[in-house]
Amino acid sequence: MSADAQAAGLPAPQVESGVIHDIGYRRYDAQRLGRAQIVRALTWHSLRSAFGIGRGARAKIFPVLLFVLISLPAVVNAVAMATNHGQGAIVTYDDYIPSLRAVSMLIFIALAAPNLVSGDLRYHTLPLYFARPISRIDYPMAKLAAFIIACLVMLEIPEIILYIGIVTQVHGAGQVWDQTKQLGPGLLYGAAWAVLLASIGLLLASTTGKRVFAICAVGIPLFFSYIVANVLMHIGQQAFGPAGPGQPSALSSLAGLLSPFTLLGGLLHWLRAPVSALGPGHAQQTIIGNYGPVYGVVFVLVLAVAIGGLLARYRKVAVA
Amino acid sequence: MTATDTRHAAGKAWTPDPGAVIQADALTLRYTAKIIALDELTVKIAPGITGLIGANGAGKSTLIKILLGLLPPTAGHAAVLGRDCVTSGYEIRTLTGYMPEHDCLPPDMSATELVTHLGRMSGLPATAARERAADSLRHVGLYEERYRQIGTYSTGMKQRVKLAQALVGDPRLLLLDEPTNGLDPAGRTAMLELIGRIGAEFGISIMVASHLLGEIEQICDHLVAIEGGRLLRADTISSVTQASAVLLVEVDEGTEQLAAELTRRGLSPVAYERGLLIQLAGDETYDAIRDAVADLGLPLSRMERRRHRIEELFRTDPALAGETIGVGSVS
Repeated sequence: MSADAQAAGLPAPQVESGVIHDIGYRRYDAQRLGRAQIVRALTWHSLRSAFGIGRGARAKIFPVLLFVLISLPAVVNAVAMATNHGQGAIVTYDDYIPSLRAVSMLIFIALAAPNLVSGDLRYHTLPLYFARPISRIDYPMAKLAAFIIACLVMLEIPEIILYIGIVTQVHGAGQVWDQTKQLGPGLLYGAAWAVLLASIGLLLASTTGKRVFAICAVGIPLFFSYIVANVLMHIGQQAFGPAGPGQPSALSSLAGLLSPFTLLGGLLHWLRAPVSALGPGHAQQTIIGNYGPVYGVVFVLVLAVAIGGLLARYRKVAVA
Repeated sequence: MTATDTRHAAGKAWTPDPGAVIQADALTLRYTAKIIALDELTVKIAPGITGLIGANGAGKSTLIKILLGLLPPTAGHAAVLGRDCVTSGYEIRTLTGYMPEHDCLPPDMSATELVTHLGRMSGLPATAARERAADSLRHVGLYEERYRQIGTYSTGMKQRVKLAQALVGDPRLLLLDEPTNGLDPAGRTAMLELIGRIGAEFGISIMVASHLLGEIEQICDHLVAIEGGRLLRADTISSVTQASAVLLVEVDEGTEQLAAELTRRGLSPVAYERGLLIQLAGDETYDAIRDAVADLGLPLSRMERRRHRIEELFRTDPALAGETIGVGSVS
């Protein structure tokens, strides 16, 4: 340590902590960053913490494993198409593999969200932020933006891998364009996942300062709601008769609203439902039946409540 | 906004004094009808080091929150460096460094990482933040330790990190809330020396909130005492020391006799612990006590000038009450 200090030209090797050395005080007269740039710096700092960057190797194990897991379908698809000529894509951009996506994102959110918010709550670091030139809303908004970006990385990069894997195997500009047109909605749908899951995850994680509790506060509700929604959908199909021709029972149609993952699934069914020649109510042979708009409304409501709740959470926290 | 509104607003506008570092004008903060944190506080603080003295719950931390623009006052006005706290919060927080009273440091970061990050949050570009973080940590006396995780630091080192993070953004004013909290006597002395040095040599005005007058009177130029959200006294430190100087006299026996004799000689002694407190007016006070003790032949065991403690400033004893209550300003 002292050798380093000497090499770096620092004062005397017999430095004791507690001795004040006169190095003169230097003013800072150059340009200062504005509020927007400070918020951007905080967002970048938070994004790094979501992936455990700057936190040692152990903190990076899970993000990397989960990223590999969620990218597997895209990689398998590319390999399958490359080895079997003429084989069509086995994974779609929008659907991806919903259950794999749900499980990977559930674990990612439960582990990463506390990284962004728990420490500052637990160690009462927030007054240090609020005493600086940002507003009370800036802090949670920067955290939310960072976590949405982190979720986008997990969701959209596999989409892009999938796209690259497919376009390298198709022939002709027409087919490439065809794939590009499909990628767009896939990316948008991935963004819906990122925004919803990041908002819910951060709100749940910010309820407690203890990291372990925060992991549970995020993981347990998301996990059980996902199970319950799936079980109810199943029961709805088994125990009740269809509500009409090609219609599942109301229970299975609405059960999906109970979990963010099935809510997102229902949203997709609604948004891409083909219009039937028989008119509305006949062609939507998906689990959500005629309740598509309900999924759209609930998606917006849940998102608004989660973001509003997050802002309210940080309005309440002690300033100083 | 109509022309009438503009005139009305201009008529009501409050103009802060640009010469004052901190200014409060009938500043009031009511949490509820019964809970009043600040009650018509009016004070002006000039550049230099100012001690903000008050018992716990006197309103010191509330005042700091208002000054930082984090808490809107119920009534009245406050300004920092000539800027209104209600309307110029961002600007004030750019120019002000704040050291909270309580623990606020994440143990899993190094001091360098934390202070650099907080430098960026103060509006410094990345390179400047790194340089100033290293400088600030050196100024507070942290060298190689700054690369270690804060969790491994002693309380004294943590207090230094808290001070360094307040200093990193090159503030014009530092608001320090109980900076000697949790420190041993040696640590307290070192921290006070450091604060005194920052105030004297770095040209940064400082307001130190404390409940220990004896401690911060060594480094302060001015003193503001508040109690129950009201101003108790605001003056230069020397005049405070003069006005409330008291002698503690103890005799092994005959304390009551002595009190009677001193009263007869025109002094007003007050019983305090095992002795008497006497307002010190000048050399004649010493003479009167000497003569009284000699005439009565009492065994004098102690006669000393008291160190001033916050309780003494707040005492309502007649011996001390005279000069301590009043509204004034430091300028």
